[in-house]
Amino acid sequence: MDENVKYALYLGCLIPARELSYELATRKVMPALGVGLVDMEGTSCCGPFAIQSLDYTGWLALAARNLCIAEKMSLDIMALCNDCYESLMMVNQTLKREEETRDRVNEILSVAHKKFKGTVNVKHTMDVLCDDVGLDKIRSKVTNPLNGLRVATQVGCHLVRPKMLHAGVGRGFEVLDDLVEALGAEAVDYDDKEICCGGPLRDIDDQLSRSLSNRKLAALKRANVDCVVTACPFCYIQFDLGQLEIKSLLREEYDIPVLHFVELLSFAMGMKPEGPQLREHRVSIDRIVRKLT
Amino acid sequence: MTSSETDLQFILSQIHARARDPGFMHEVANTVRGEGVLSCIQCGRCAGSCPVGRLTVKYNPRRLVEMVNLGFKWEALFELSWLCLSCFTCIDRCPQGADVGEVVFALRSIAARDGNIPKGALAMAKSLVETGRIVNPTTSVTKQRASLGLPPCETVPEVAKIARKTGFSKILGLQ
Amino acid sequence: MMNKSALVIGGGIAGIQASLDLANRGVKTYLVEKSPSIGGRMAQLDKTFPTMDCSICILAPKMIECFRHRNIDLLTYSEVKEVQGSAGDFTVKVVKKPRYVQADKCVGCGTCADHCPVEVPNEFDSGMGVRKAIYLPFPQAVPRVYTVDKDHCLDCGLCKSVCTAKAVDLEQEPAELELHVGGIVVATGFDVYEPLRITSYGYGKYKNVITSLQLERMLSASGPSGGRIMRPSDGRIPRTVAFLQCVGSRDQRFGYPYCSSICCKYAVKDAVLIREHRPDSEVYIFYIDLRVFGKGFQEFANRAKKEFGVKFIRSSPGEIREDPETRDLTLWYEDTLTRTVKSLKVDLVVLSTALMPRSDSAELAKILGIDTDRFGFLIPPDSVGHPVDTQIAGIVGCGYCLGPRTGDIPDSVMQASAAAARLSEILMSGSL
Repeated sequence: MDENVKYALYLGCLIPARELSYELATRKVMPALGVGLVDMEGTSCCGPFAIQSLDYTGWLALAARNLCIAEKMSLDIMALCNDCYESLMMVNQTLKREEETRDRVNEILSVAHKKFKGTVNVKHTMDVLCDDVGLDKIRSKVTNPLNGLRVATQVGCHLVRPKMLHAGVGRGFEVLDDLVEALGAEAVDYDDKEICCGGPLRDIDDQLSRSLSNRKLAALKRANVDCVVTACPFCYIQFDLGQLEIKSLLREEYDIPVLHFVELLSFAMGMKPEGPQLREHRVSIDRIVRKLT
Repeated sequence: MTSSETDLQFILSQIHARARDPGFMHEVANTVRGEGVLSCIQCGRCAGSCPVGRLTVKYNPRRLVEMVNLGFKWEALFELSWLCLSCFTCIDRCPQGADVGEVVFALRSIAARDGNIPKGALAMAKSLVETGRIVNPTTSVTKQRASLGLPPCETVPEVAKIARKTGFSKILGLQ
Repeated sequence: MMNKSALVIGGGIAGIQASLDLANRGVKTYLVEKSPSIGGRMAQLDKTFPTMDCSICILAPKMIECFRHRNIDLLTYSEVKEVQGSAGDFTVKVVKKPRYVQADKCVGCGTCADHCPVEVPNEFDSGMGVRKAIYLPFPQAVPRVYTVDKDHCLDCGLCKSVCTAKAVDLEQEPAELELHVGGIVVATGFDVYEPLRITSYGYGKYKNVITSLQLERMLSASGPSGGRIMRPSDGRIPRTVAFLQCVGSRDQRFGYPYCSSICCKYAVKDAVLIREHRPDSEVYIFYIDLRVFGKGFQEFANRAKKEFGVKFIRSSPGEIREDPETRDLTLWYEDTLTRTVKSLKVDLVVLSTALMPRSDSAELAKILGIDTDRFGFLIPPDSVGHPVDTQIAGIVGCGYCLGPRTGDIPDSVMQASAAAARLSEILMSGSL
């Protein structure tokens, strides 16, 4: 397959450790759509929101370190996780804009023998799919249209908020809906669609975190969907593992399959799911797989 | 007690003065990401938007800024700010740019400076400094990655170096 | 050479008052108004605050006086295109847009409109009502001459064939006038902000979320619904109504940072009117600060609460959600005084949106050679000593185009008289 465009692949921490299904699907789907992915060597955590609070300069330096790796590769970054995307993007913008801050951070990065220059951009998988690949191309690559499948989308907060930060990208909550419809499925609306999944409160206040995901899952059930797709691994955990936790602790059962969007995309492109991928889903996606194959 | 009585008790306990610090508002305003506290007009649009605020009385973004501006340092630092999801809905709607979702970062950094970090966040941060990641694959996942031909997740010692230089390690109680 | 005549730009209450004051002093005054009739915003209102007088009842006599005054030349449906010269001797080019109806022949009977097949939204009704392609903007329009909206006219000629006065002339051309005046009054007033950027309130998406001007048109007895307040989605009379204050005002991000000055006052008035129209209704005003300053207004607000049962909630709601079937609206808000987060279901939401200068005020300022600020308001160079002056001697301003100030009708009238007096200094004394 010809490569029209190449990106440095930034995996983050969560996906390579806990959600191989997301990684595997991405590595299969993107080259088939003409997007080359190059692994980054020596990357570390991006500095998600819980960490940012603890040390502002530390966060800037950690994120910048990863940006430097991409700069050395002369490639823009494609991040899979919403939090990684927004963290790297915020730091990239801040350091490009504020000279004094940049100098301060580069002084720190000298212990790692790195220097931030501001030569690359940060994108999310959804950006690459919409802008570089385009809905038309995706539609043309669908060999297994998902006709009749009622799909709800969970875009995730950090892909679209705060609006001012993402103003240049012009992306809104409809981005996943458009992509889902390009696969031939029906994007279904549901209450509280734009509200956070509760992921960031995991391990800080589990009860609250669970209340939020429970609220969203209840809304999904009311909307009578076949499955829900996510763009962010945290949303995925909240809905997937979250359903097991809610079943045992709150005695509510939803049985709503949760898929990473790229997974659904891979099925629509005729790619068969592998064993390890299927086993990772704590709420079985067999029903969906059977409908498609 | 009925749930509304316990809620009321909770609210009253929040505004009971433990140690009012009238300079706290300026301390927060001078901390990076905390500048917004000076712009708040207490309109409550953030509180009407916050998903956490809808589920519990324990957290309310408007009240958080009120606490800061009135100098209730203890409450603002240790009880309320860690319940923010960082979903940024309040920032999207604040008409004055007070941006509670940003102020929260300033508050947490002040709390962290004094050694007050929730267990969950502390564990993530320690893992980050020691290995370069907030979470690492288990041995079986590591094996799985290898068998699937996926690149391994390696420890990144440079992160510890950076953390020492910025004082991050010290905040976490590491060295 | 001192030209003892004046040009007033804008036919709202401020422009009308300035014209009358000048004309009564013997100054020949040209009143230029962009739309087909004078009257401005005051003609769109039902009642004024705090006295609850009928707005058009107060305004119409002044409009007629303008029309009849031997010293006033009413140039409606006209625009100022060029200004040269200086104080005492301005040369102004005015374009009279073609109405396609001869003003001296038209008797205002309305037979043409009855037969016209085209129906379009009426700008005067802020989108709540319709008019024909040949129309009078409102029943009390001055001059009472019909106008053809050529953009929507089908050129079917029906109006022409039924007009017994033979007033319709579909070939009419614009006319250019050159006026020589000694001074100019700018009284262009305001536009109402449409809060499409504040997406969480659903304006433009949810049918039953309207602006206060749209409500005014419904409240008005001569308006599109004959004084009945109706929900746009189903025509039902709403039982529960919520007013949201400061929508786009006091807003650094999505609107205008200033306080628009009259919204709290008119919301209280409108709330009382709704309670009067429907005694079993529940009316809420969501405010941040209730800015009802000035004589009689706090008292009026107190009466609204105690006598009329209007419910005041100190809160700016976070979001509005719509029930897709009933089109009812749910507000999510925190009552900041009881410190509780709640939701409230209502039939109709009225947004008190920001008021701003007309969209073409910057262009007009350029023609006149005066400065405007980044919002389009005039900037008096000495706002304390000579608050109606502009950068150019001989050009003065009055009304909302000067800034929010207090903004209510008596204040606009006072400013108009001040502007007329200021101009008179120049015109009467023969020197600057």
